[in-house]
Amino acid sequence: MNELHKEKIEVNNLNFYYGEVKALKDINFHIHGNKVTALIGPSGCGKSTFLRILNRMNELIEDARVEGEVLINGQNIYRSDVDVVELRKKVGMIFQKSNPFPKSIFENVAYGLRVGGFSTDKKFLEERVERSLNQAALWDEVKERLYESAFGLSGGQQQRLCIARSLAIEPDILLMDEPASALDPISTAKIEELIIELKKNYTIVIVTHNLQQASRISDYTAFFYLGELIEYAKTTKIFTNPGKKQTEDYVTGRFG
Amino acid sequence: MQRQFDEQINKLKNRLLKMSSLTEEQLQLSFKAIKEENLTIPDIVFENEIKLDKYDFKIEKSCLKLFALNQPVALDLRLIMAAMNLSTDLERIGDLAVNICQNFLKVKKKPEFYEKTKFEEMANIAISMLNDSIDSFIENDVAKAESVIKRDQELDALNNDNDEILIKIMQEDPKFIQEAVTFLEICHQIERCGDHATNVAEDVYFISEAQIVKHNYEKYIYKEYDKEINENDDEI
Repeated sequence: MNELHKEKIEVNNLNFYYGEVKALKDINFHIHGNKVTALIGPSGCGKSTFLRILNRMNELIEDARVEGEVLINGQNIYRSDVDVVELRKKVGMIFQKSNPFPKSIFENVAYGLRVGGFSTDKKFLEERVERSLNQAALWDEVKERLYESAFGLSGGQQQRLCIARSLAIEPDILLMDEPASALDPISTAKIEELIIELKKNYTIVIVTHNLQQASRISDYTAFFYLGELIEYAKTTKIFTNPGKKQTEDYVTGRFG
Repeated sequence: MQRQFDEQINKLKNRLLKMSSLTEEQLQLSFKAIKEENLTIPDIVFENEIKLDKYDFKIEKSCLKLFALNQPVALDLRLIMAAMNLSTDLERIGDLAVNICQNFLKVKKKPEFYEKTKFEEMANIAISMLNDSIDSFIENDVAKAESVIKRDQELDALNNDNDEILIKIMQEDPKFIQEAVTFLEICHQIERCGDHATNVAEDVYFISEAQIVKHNYEKYIYKEYDKEINENDDEI
Protein backbone atom coordinates (compact mmCIF):
# COMPACT_ATOMS: atom_id res chain seq x y z
CA MET A 1 0.00 0.00 0.00
CA ASN A 2 1.14 3.49 -0.84
CA GLU A 3 2.72 5.41 2.01
CA LEU A 4 0.29 8.26 1.45
CA HIS A 5 -2.64 5.95 1.98
CA LYS A 6 -1.54 4.69 5.34
CA GLU A 7 -4.05 4.94 8.12
CA LYS A 8 -3.39 8.04 10.08
CA ILE A 9 -6.31 7.85 12.44
CA GLU A 10 -7.98 4.67 13.49
CA VAL A 11 -11.18 4.72 15.49
CA ASN A 12 -12.33 1.48 17.05
CA ASN A 13 -15.69 0.78 18.69
CA LEU A 14 -16.12 4.38 19.69
CA ASN A 15 -19.09 5.40 21.81
CA PHE A 16 -19.56 8.89 23.11
CA TYR A 17 -21.98 10.16 25.74
CA TYR A 18 -23.11 13.60 26.80
CA GLY A 19 -24.37 12.55 30.26
CA GLU A 20 -26.99 9.94 29.53
CA VAL A 21 -27.29 10.81 25.86
CA LYS A 22 -25.34 8.58 23.52
CA ALA A 23 -24.14 10.95 20.84
CA LEU A 24 -21.97 8.52 18.86
CA LYS A 25 -22.72 4.85 18.49
CA ASP A 26 -20.11 2.22 17.81
CA ILE A 27 -18.03 4.14 15.31
CA ASN A 28 -15.31 2.27 13.43
CA PHE A 29 -13.41 4.42 11.06
CA HIS A 30 -9.99 4.64 9.41
CA ILE A 31 -8.82 8.01 8.19
CA HIS A 32 -6.08 8.06 5.59
CA GLY A 33 -2.98 10.18 5.86
CA ASN A 34 -2.41 13.12 3.49
CA LYS A 35 -6.00 13.02 2.35
CA VAL A 36 -8.99 15.24 2.94
CA THR A 37 -11.83 13.46 4.68
CA ALA A 38 -15.19 15.24 4.82
CA LEU A 39 -17.74 14.53 7.51
CA ILE A 40 -21.28 15.24 6.37
CA GLY A 41 -24.72 14.77 7.85
CA PRO A 42 -27.68 16.75 9.16
CA SER A 43 -27.34 18.95 12.25
CA GLY A 44 -27.03 16.94 15.42
CA CYS A 45 -25.80 13.82 13.68
CA GLY A 46 -22.58 13.74 15.65
CA LYS A 47 -20.07 14.86 13.04
CA SER A 48 -18.73 17.83 15.02
CA THR A 49 -18.68 15.72 18.17
CA PHE A 50 -16.63 13.17 16.28
CA LEU A 51 -14.24 15.84 15.02
CA ARG A 52 -13.67 17.14 18.55
CA ILE A 53 -12.97 13.64 19.80
CA LEU A 54 -9.90 13.57 17.58
CA ASN A 55 -8.07 16.14 19.70
CA ARG A 56 -9.91 15.52 22.95
CA MET A 57 -11.73 18.84 22.83
CA ASN A 58 -14.80 17.10 24.20
CA GLU A 59 -13.12 16.77 27.54
CA LEU A 60 -13.88 20.42 28.12
CA ILE A 61 -17.56 19.46 28.36
CA GLU A 62 -18.79 18.26 31.71
CA ASP A 63 -20.36 14.81 31.83
CA ALA A 64 -18.87 13.84 28.48
CA ARG A 65 -17.58 10.29 28.30
CA VAL A 66 -15.68 8.35 25.66
CA GLU A 67 -15.60 4.58 25.18
CA GLY A 68 -13.44 2.74 22.70
CA GLU A 69 -10.15 3.81 21.25
CA VAL A 70 -8.81 6.48 18.93
CA LEU A 71 -5.36 5.75 17.54
CA ILE A 72 -3.33 8.48 15.92
CA ASN A 73 -0.16 7.18 14.31
CA GLY A 74 -0.85 3.96 16.17
CA GLN A 75 -1.03 5.55 19.60
CA ASN A 76 -4.24 5.62 21.63
CA ILE A 77 -4.85 9.30 22.42
CA TYR A 78 -7.22 8.42 25.25
CA ARG A 79 -4.60 6.62 27.28
CA SER A 80 -4.17 8.24 30.68
CA ASP A 81 -0.51 9.10 30.12
CA VAL A 82 -1.11 11.10 26.94
CA ASP A 83 -0.27 14.80 27.29
CA VAL A 84 -3.27 16.67 25.90
CA VAL A 85 -1.26 19.79 25.17
CA GLU A 86 1.20 17.78 23.09
CA LEU A 87 -1.70 16.04 21.37
CA ARG A 88 -3.30 19.32 20.38
CA LYS A 89 0.00 20.56 18.99
CA LYS A 90 -0.10 17.62 16.64
CA VAL A 91 -3.82 17.87 15.93
CA GLY A 92 -4.70 21.47 15.15
CA MET A 93 -8.20 22.83 14.86
CA ILE A 94 -9.86 25.55 12.81
CA PHE A 95 -13.33 26.70 13.72
CA GLN A 96 -16.33 28.05 11.87
CA LYS A 97 -15.82 31.53 13.16
CA SER A 98 -12.30 32.79 12.78
CA ASN A 99 -10.91 33.67 16.21
CA PRO A 100 -7.74 35.74 15.90
CA PHE A 101 -6.26 37.05 19.11
CA PRO A 102 -6.35 40.82 19.77
CA LYS A 103 -2.76 41.07 18.67
CA SER A 104 -0.80 41.88 15.57
CA ILE A 105 -0.85 39.57 12.57
CA PHE A 106 2.71 38.52 13.35
CA GLU A 107 1.98 37.80 17.00
CA ASN A 108 -1.09 35.77 16.14
CA VAL A 109 1.00 33.36 14.13
CA ALA A 110 3.93 33.44 16.57
CA TYR A 111 1.70 32.93 19.60
CA GLY A 112 1.66 29.15 19.55
CA LEU A 113 5.41 29.11 19.15
CA ARG A 114 5.94 31.44 22.10
CA VAL A 115 3.68 29.56 24.51
CA GLY A 116 4.38 26.13 23.14
CA GLY A 117 7.98 25.90 24.24
CA PHE A 118 9.51 26.50 20.84
CA SER A 119 12.58 28.65 20.37
CA THR A 120 11.95 32.34 20.94
CA ASP A 121 14.85 33.30 18.74
CA LYS A 122 13.74 36.27 16.63
CA LYS A 123 15.04 34.86 13.39
CA PHE A 124 13.37 31.51 14.00
CA LEU A 125 10.06 33.20 14.75
CA GLU A 126 10.25 35.40 11.66
CA GLU A 127 11.04 32.49 9.42
CA ARG A 128 8.32 30.32 10.84
CA VAL A 129 5.70 33.11 10.65
CA GLU A 130 6.57 33.85 7.03
CA ARG A 131 6.47 30.19 6.09
CA SER A 132 3.15 29.61 7.83
CA LEU A 133 1.57 32.66 6.25
CA ASN A 134 2.87 31.49 2.90
CA GLN A 135 1.40 28.04 3.41
CA ALA A 136 -1.90 29.65 4.33
CA ALA A 137 -1.74 31.68 1.08
CA LEU A 138 -1.87 34.91 3.07
CA TRP A 139 1.73 36.17 3.02
CA ASP A 140 1.46 38.38 -0.04
CA GLU A 141 -1.61 40.10 1.34
CA VAL A 142 -0.18 40.86 4.77
CA LYS A 143 3.60 41.09 4.44
CA GLU A 144 3.48 44.90 4.44
CA ARG A 145 1.42 45.09 7.61
CA LEU A 146 2.58 42.28 9.83
CA TYR A 147 2.52 44.42 12.93
CA GLU A 148 -0.98 45.79 12.45
CA SER A 149 -3.94 44.34 14.33
CA ALA A 150 -5.33 41.07 13.02
CA PHE A 151 -8.82 42.54 13.40
CA GLY A 152 -8.13 44.76 10.42
CA LEU A 153 -8.21 41.74 8.13
CA SER A 154 -11.28 40.61 6.20
CA GLY A 155 -13.23 37.52 7.33
CA GLY A 156 -11.54 35.31 4.78
CA GLN A 157 -8.11 36.67 5.65
CA GLN A 158 -8.78 36.15 9.37
CA GLN A 159 -9.69 32.54 8.70
CA ARG A 160 -6.49 32.01 6.72
CA LEU A 161 -4.61 33.68 9.57
CA CYS A 162 -6.08 31.11 11.95
CA ILE A 163 -4.94 28.38 9.58
CA ALA A 164 -1.46 29.93 9.52
CA ARG A 165 -1.50 30.01 13.32
CA SER A 166 -2.29 26.31 13.39
CA LEU A 167 0.37 25.53 10.83
CA ALA A 168 3.09 27.45 12.71
CA ILE A 169 3.44 24.74 15.32
CA GLU A 170 3.73 22.11 12.59
CA PRO A 171 0.78 19.87 13.34
CA ASP A 172 0.27 16.52 11.72
CA ILE A 173 -3.48 16.68 11.38
CA LEU A 174 -5.81 19.63 10.82
CA LEU A 175 -9.40 19.44 11.99
CA MET A 176 -11.73 21.97 10.43
CA ASP A 177 -15.25 22.65 11.59
CA GLU A 178 -17.16 24.48 8.86
CA PRO A 179 -14.12 26.65 8.06
CA ALA A 180 -15.72 28.51 5.18
CA SER A 181 -19.36 28.72 6.14
CA ALA A 182 -19.20 32.38 7.11
CA LEU A 183 -17.21 33.46 4.06
CA ASP A 184 -18.10 34.89 0.66
CA PRO A 185 -17.59 32.71 -2.45
CA ILE A 186 -14.15 34.13 -3.31
CA SER A 187 -12.80 33.64 0.21
CA THR A 188 -14.41 30.21 0.28
CA ALA A 189 -12.68 29.30 -2.96
CA LYS A 190 -9.35 30.45 -1.50
CA ILE A 191 -9.84 28.33 1.61
CA GLU A 192 -10.82 25.34 -0.53
CA GLU A 193 -7.76 25.72 -2.76
CA LEU A 194 -5.69 26.03 0.37
CA ILE A 195 -7.10 22.82 1.83
CA ILE A 196 -6.30 20.90 -1.36
CA GLU A 197 -2.78 22.35 -1.28
CA LEU A 198 -2.28 21.57 2.40
CA LYS A 199 -3.10 17.90 2.11
CA LYS A 200 0.33 17.31 0.61
CA ASN A 201 1.76 17.86 4.08
CA TYR A 202 -1.16 17.38 6.42
CA THR A 203 -4.05 15.06 7.04
CA ILE A 204 -7.25 17.04 6.99
CA VAL A 205 -10.62 16.19 8.47
CA ILE A 206 -13.35 18.69 7.70
CA VAL A 207 -16.92 19.03 8.86
CA THR A 208 -19.12 20.77 6.33
CA HIS A 209 -22.79 21.33 5.66
CA ASN A 210 -21.93 22.37 2.15
CA LEU A 211 -22.14 19.17 0.13
CA GLN A 212 -20.69 20.77 -2.97
CA GLN A 213 -17.73 21.81 -0.88
CA ALA A 214 -17.30 18.27 0.40
CA SER A 215 -17.45 16.94 -3.15
CA ARG A 216 -14.99 19.54 -4.44
CA ILE A 217 -12.25 19.19 -1.89
CA SER A 218 -12.41 15.82 -0.18
CA ASP A 219 -10.97 12.45 -1.15
CA TYR A 220 -13.17 10.53 1.25
CA THR A 221 -16.58 11.31 2.65
CA ALA A 222 -18.21 9.97 5.78
CA PHE A 223 -21.95 10.32 6.23
CA PHE A 224 -23.19 10.47 9.82
CA TYR A 225 -26.80 10.17 10.88
CA LEU A 226 -28.25 10.03 14.39
CA GLY A 227 -24.86 9.32 15.91
CA GLU A 228 -24.02 6.52 13.54
CA LEU A 229 -21.53 6.34 10.73
CA ILE A 230 -23.84 5.29 7.91
CA GLU A 231 -21.44 5.23 5.01
CA TYR A 232 -17.78 5.95 4.47
CA ALA A 233 -16.38 5.75 0.96
CA LYS A 234 -14.43 7.61 -1.66
CA THR A 235 -16.05 10.96 -2.32
CA THR A 236 -16.64 10.05 -5.98
CA LYS A 237 -18.66 7.07 -4.91
CA ILE A 238 -20.73 8.96 -2.35
CA PHE A 239 -21.70 11.55 -4.96
CA THR A 240 -22.20 9.30 -7.97
CA ASN A 241 -23.37 6.00 -6.56
CA PRO A 242 -23.83 5.91 -2.82
CA GLY A 243 -24.17 2.46 -1.33
CA LYS A 244 -26.88 3.24 1.18
CA LYS A 245 -30.37 4.59 0.62
CA GLN A 246 -29.98 7.05 3.52
CA THR A 247 -26.83 8.49 1.98
CA GLU A 248 -28.52 8.81 -1.40
CA ASP A 249 -31.47 10.62 0.20
CA TYR A 250 -29.18 12.98 2.05
CA VAL A 251 -26.84 13.94 -0.79
CA THR A 252 -29.71 14.43 -3.23
CA GLY A 253 -31.62 16.57 -0.75
CA ARG A 254 -34.54 14.17 -0.38
CA PHE A 255 -33.95 13.85 3.31
CA GLY A 256 -36.65 14.26 5.95
CA MET B 1 -39.61 15.24 1.20
CA GLN B 2 -41.04 16.32 -2.17
CA ARG B 3 -38.55 18.48 -3.96
CA GLN B 4 -39.18 21.24 -6.46
CA PHE B 5 -36.43 19.53 -8.37
CA ASP B 6 -38.53 16.34 -8.75
CA GLU B 7 -41.09 18.27 -10.71
CA GLN B 8 -38.42 19.41 -13.15
CA ILE B 9 -37.07 15.87 -13.42
CA ASN B 10 -40.58 14.62 -14.19
CA LYS B 11 -40.97 17.22 -16.90
CA LEU B 12 -37.70 16.06 -18.40
CA LYS B 13 -38.82 12.44 -18.29
CA ASN B 14 -42.13 13.31 -19.94
CA ARG B 15 -40.39 15.13 -22.71
CA LEU B 16 -38.11 12.15 -23.25
CA LEU B 17 -41.13 9.86 -23.45
CA LYS B 18 -42.80 12.01 -26.06
CA MET B 19 -39.58 12.16 -28.01
CA SER B 20 -39.15 8.39 -27.87
CA SER B 21 -42.65 7.63 -29.11
CA LEU B 22 -42.17 10.03 -32.00
CA THR B 23 -38.81 8.42 -32.81
CA GLU B 24 -40.42 5.01 -32.81
CA GLU B 25 -43.16 6.28 -35.10
CA GLN B 26 -40.58 7.74 -37.48
CA LEU B 27 -38.76 4.45 -37.79
CA GLN B 28 -42.03 2.54 -38.25
CA LEU B 29 -43.08 5.00 -40.97
CA SER B 30 -39.84 4.70 -42.87
CA PHE B 31 -40.16 0.90 -42.96
CA LYS B 32 -43.83 1.13 -43.87
CA ALA B 33 -43.01 3.38 -46.82
CA ILE B 34 -40.79 0.66 -48.25
CA LYS B 35 -43.02 -2.31 -47.38
CA GLU B 36 -46.07 -0.64 -48.88
CA GLU B 37 -44.19 1.19 -51.63
CA ASN B 38 -45.84 4.35 -50.39
CA LEU B 39 -44.30 7.53 -51.82
CA THR B 40 -46.19 9.98 -49.61
CA ILE B 41 -45.04 8.63 -46.24
CA PRO B 42 -41.50 10.11 -46.59
CA ASP B 43 -43.00 13.60 -46.53
CA ILE B 44 -44.55 12.89 -43.14
CA VAL B 45 -41.21 11.61 -41.90
CA PHE B 46 -39.39 14.72 -43.16
CA GLU B 47 -41.91 16.93 -41.42
CA ASN B 48 -41.71 15.07 -38.11
CA GLU B 49 -37.93 15.29 -38.18
CA ILE B 50 -38.15 19.00 -37.32
CA LYS B 51 -40.17 18.12 -34.21
CA LEU B 52 -37.59 15.58 -33.13
CA ASP B 53 -34.79 18.10 -33.48
CA LYS B 54 -36.79 20.50 -31.34
CA TYR B 55 -37.20 17.87 -28.63
CA ASP B 56 -33.48 17.19 -28.68
CA PHE B 57 -32.73 20.88 -28.36
CA LYS B 58 -35.22 21.38 -25.53
CA ILE B 59 -34.01 18.35 -23.60
CA GLU B 60 -30.41 19.43 -23.86
CA LYS B 61 -31.36 22.88 -22.68
CA SER B 62 -33.27 21.62 -19.65
CA CYS B 63 -30.41 19.27 -18.74
CA LEU B 64 -28.00 22.18 -18.90
CA LYS B 65 -30.28 24.15 -16.62
CA LEU B 66 -30.70 21.28 -14.19
CA PHE B 67 -26.93 20.82 -14.00
CA ALA B 68 -26.19 24.49 -13.54
CA LEU B 69 -28.86 25.31 -10.99
CA ASN B 70 -29.14 22.14 -8.96
CA GLN B 71 -25.72 20.51 -9.05
CA PRO B 72 -27.34 17.07 -9.08
CA VAL B 73 -25.57 14.10 -7.51
CA ALA B 74 -26.08 10.33 -7.29
CA LEU B 75 -29.26 9.06 -8.98
CA ASP B 76 -30.30 12.55 -10.09
CA LEU B 77 -26.91 13.06 -11.71
CA ARG B 78 -27.02 9.74 -13.52
CA LEU B 79 -30.52 10.34 -14.75
CA ILE B 80 -29.73 13.75 -16.21
CA MET B 81 -26.49 12.54 -17.78
CA ALA B 82 -28.35 9.63 -19.33
CA ALA B 83 -31.16 11.92 -20.50
CA MET B 84 -28.68 13.93 -22.54
CA ASN B 85 -27.30 10.79 -24.15
CA LEU B 86 -30.75 9.36 -24.70
CA SER B 87 -31.94 12.44 -26.48
CA THR B 88 -28.89 12.41 -28.75
CA ASP B 89 -29.45 8.75 -29.65
CA LEU B 90 -33.15 9.23 -30.33
CA GLU B 91 -32.39 12.19 -32.53
CA ARG B 92 -29.85 10.11 -34.46
CA ILE B 93 -32.42 7.36 -34.99
CA GLY B 94 -34.75 10.05 -36.32
CA ASP B 95 -32.04 11.14 -38.76
CA LEU B 96 -31.60 7.54 -39.90
CA ALA B 97 -35.36 7.22 -40.52
CA VAL B 98 -35.04 10.25 -42.77
CA ASN B 99 -32.04 8.70 -44.55
CA ILE B 100 -33.96 5.48 -45.09
CA CYS B 101 -36.82 7.43 -46.69
CA GLN B 102 -34.39 9.40 -48.86
CA ASN B 103 -32.84 6.17 -50.05
CA PHE B 104 -36.24 4.67 -50.72
CA LEU B 105 -37.13 7.67 -52.87
CA LYS B 106 -34.14 6.83 -55.05
CA VAL B 107 -35.62 3.43 -55.96
CA LYS B 108 -39.31 4.30 -55.44
CA LYS B 109 -40.37 0.64 -55.26
CA LYS B 110 -39.37 -2.73 -53.93
CA PRO B 111 -36.70 -4.16 -56.19
CA GLU B 112 -37.11 -7.60 -57.75
CA PHE B 113 -34.67 -9.15 -55.29
CA TYR B 114 -36.54 -7.67 -52.28
CA GLU B 115 -37.69 -11.03 -50.91
CA LYS B 116 -34.13 -12.37 -50.93
CA THR B 117 -32.86 -9.59 -48.62
CA LYS B 118 -32.95 -9.52 -44.82
CA PHE B 119 -34.65 -6.11 -44.85
CA GLU B 120 -37.90 -7.07 -43.13
CA GLU B 121 -36.23 -9.25 -40.54
CA MET B 122 -33.77 -6.49 -39.73
CA ALA B 123 -36.52 -3.88 -39.60
CA ASN B 124 -38.50 -6.00 -37.13
CA ILE B 125 -35.53 -6.48 -34.84
CA ALA B 126 -34.59 -2.80 -34.94
CA ILE B 127 -38.14 -1.80 -34.03
CA SER B 128 -38.32 -4.32 -31.20
CA MET B 129 -34.95 -3.17 -29.88
CA LEU B 130 -36.03 0.45 -29.88
CA ASN B 131 -39.36 -0.48 -28.33
CA ASP B 132 -37.79 -2.48 -25.54
CA SER B 133 -35.07 0.04 -24.84
CA ILE B 134 -37.72 2.72 -24.36
CA ASP B 135 -39.83 0.38 -22.23
CA SER B 136 -36.81 -0.43 -20.12
CA PHE B 137 -36.35 3.29 -19.52
CA ILE B 138 -39.99 3.81 -18.56
CA GLU B 139 -40.13 0.75 -16.34
CA ASN B 140 -36.55 1.05 -15.12
CA ASP B 141 -36.17 -2.58 -16.18
CA VAL B 142 -32.49 -3.54 -16.29
CA ALA B 143 -33.14 -7.08 -17.53
CA LYS B 144 -35.00 -5.71 -20.53
CA ALA B 145 -32.16 -3.26 -21.21
CA GLU B 146 -29.68 -6.12 -21.17
CA SER B 147 -31.80 -8.13 -23.60
CA VAL B 148 -31.64 -5.19 -26.03
CA ILE B 149 -27.86 -5.03 -25.71
CA LYS B 150 -27.66 -8.74 -26.54
CA ARG B 151 -30.03 -8.51 -29.51
CA ASP B 152 -27.71 -6.06 -31.21
CA GLN B 153 -25.41 -8.95 -32.12
CA GLU B 154 -28.29 -10.68 -33.85
CA LEU B 155 -28.91 -7.58 -35.91
CA ASP B 156 -25.22 -7.25 -36.77
CA ALA B 157 -25.14 -10.88 -37.95
CA LEU B 158 -28.19 -10.35 -40.17
CA ASN B 159 -26.59 -7.26 -41.60
CA ASN B 160 -23.48 -9.24 -42.53
CA ASP B 161 -25.59 -11.93 -44.19
CA ASN B 162 -27.50 -9.25 -46.03
CA ASP B 163 -24.25 -7.72 -47.32
CA GLU B 164 -23.24 -11.06 -48.79
CA ILE B 165 -26.62 -11.64 -50.36
CA LEU B 166 -26.65 -8.22 -52.03
CA ILE B 167 -23.06 -8.52 -53.23
CA LYS B 168 -23.96 -11.84 -54.81
CA ILE B 169 -26.99 -10.28 -56.52
CA MET B 170 -24.78 -7.53 -57.93
CA GLN B 171 -22.17 -10.01 -59.09
CA GLU B 172 -24.77 -12.16 -60.80
CA ASP B 173 -26.57 -9.37 -62.58
CA PRO B 174 -25.00 -5.88 -62.86
CA LYS B 175 -28.34 -4.34 -63.80
CA PHE B 176 -29.28 -4.58 -60.10
CA ILE B 177 -26.22 -2.68 -58.92
CA GLN B 178 -27.89 0.66 -58.34
CA GLU B 179 -30.88 -0.75 -56.46
CA ALA B 180 -28.73 -3.21 -54.54
CA VAL B 181 -26.34 -0.48 -53.39
CA THR B 182 -29.29 1.58 -52.20
CA PHE B 183 -30.68 -1.40 -50.30
CA LEU B 184 -27.27 -2.09 -48.85
CA GLU B 185 -27.27 1.44 -47.49
CA ILE B 186 -30.80 1.14 -46.13
CA CYS B 187 -29.90 -2.04 -44.26
CA HIS B 188 -26.75 -0.45 -42.88
CA GLN B 189 -28.92 2.38 -41.64
CA ILE B 190 -31.18 -0.12 -39.89
CA GLU B 191 -28.14 -1.65 -38.29
CA ARG B 192 -27.12 1.81 -37.06
CA CYS B 193 -30.59 2.24 -35.54
CA GLY B 194 -29.92 -0.93 -33.57
CA ASP B 195 -26.66 0.57 -32.29
CA HIS B 196 -28.47 3.66 -31.07
CA ALA B 197 -31.19 1.57 -29.42
CA THR B 198 -28.36 -0.30 -27.71
CA ASN B 199 -26.97 3.01 -26.48
CA VAL B 200 -30.37 3.84 -25.01
CA ALA B 201 -30.40 0.49 -23.22
CA GLU B 202 -26.86 1.10 -21.95
CA ASP B 203 -28.00 4.43 -20.54
CA VAL B 204 -30.86 2.73 -18.74
CA TYR B 205 -28.33 0.30 -17.31
CA PHE B 206 -26.20 3.25 -16.19
CA ILE B 207 -29.12 5.02 -14.49
CA SER B 208 -29.97 1.99 -12.47
CA GLU B 209 -26.64 0.26 -11.87
CA ALA B 210 -24.26 3.23 -12.01
CA GLN B 211 -21.98 1.28 -14.32
CA ILE B 212 -20.88 2.38 -17.73
CA VAL B 213 -21.27 -0.60 -20.06
CA LYS B 214 -20.84 0.99 -23.46
CA HIS B 215 -18.29 -0.13 -26.06
CA ASN B 216 -18.56 -3.70 -24.76
CA TYR B 217 -16.85 -2.19 -21.80
CA GLU B 218 -16.79 -5.25 -19.62
CA LYS B 219 -15.66 -7.59 -22.31
CA TYR B 220 -12.77 -5.63 -23.77
CA ILE B 221 -11.69 -2.86 -21.51
CA TYR B 222 -12.79 -3.72 -18.02
CA LYS B 223 -10.27 -6.47 -17.39
CA GLU B 224 -7.32 -4.38 -18.41
CA TYR B 225 -8.23 -1.41 -16.27
CA ASP B 226 -9.89 -3.45 -13.59
CA LYS B 227 -7.34 -2.61 -10.94
CA GLU B 228 -7.05 1.03 -11.78
CA ILE B 229 -10.79 1.50 -11.83
CA ASN B 230 -11.24 -0.20 -8.50
CA GLU B 231 -8.52 1.85 -6.93
CA ASN B 232 -9.89 5.10 -8.19
CA ASP B 233 -13.61 4.70 -7.99
CA ASP B 234 -14.82 2.15 -5.61
CA GLU B 235 -15.54 1.90 -1.99
CA ILE B 236 -12.61 1.83 0.36
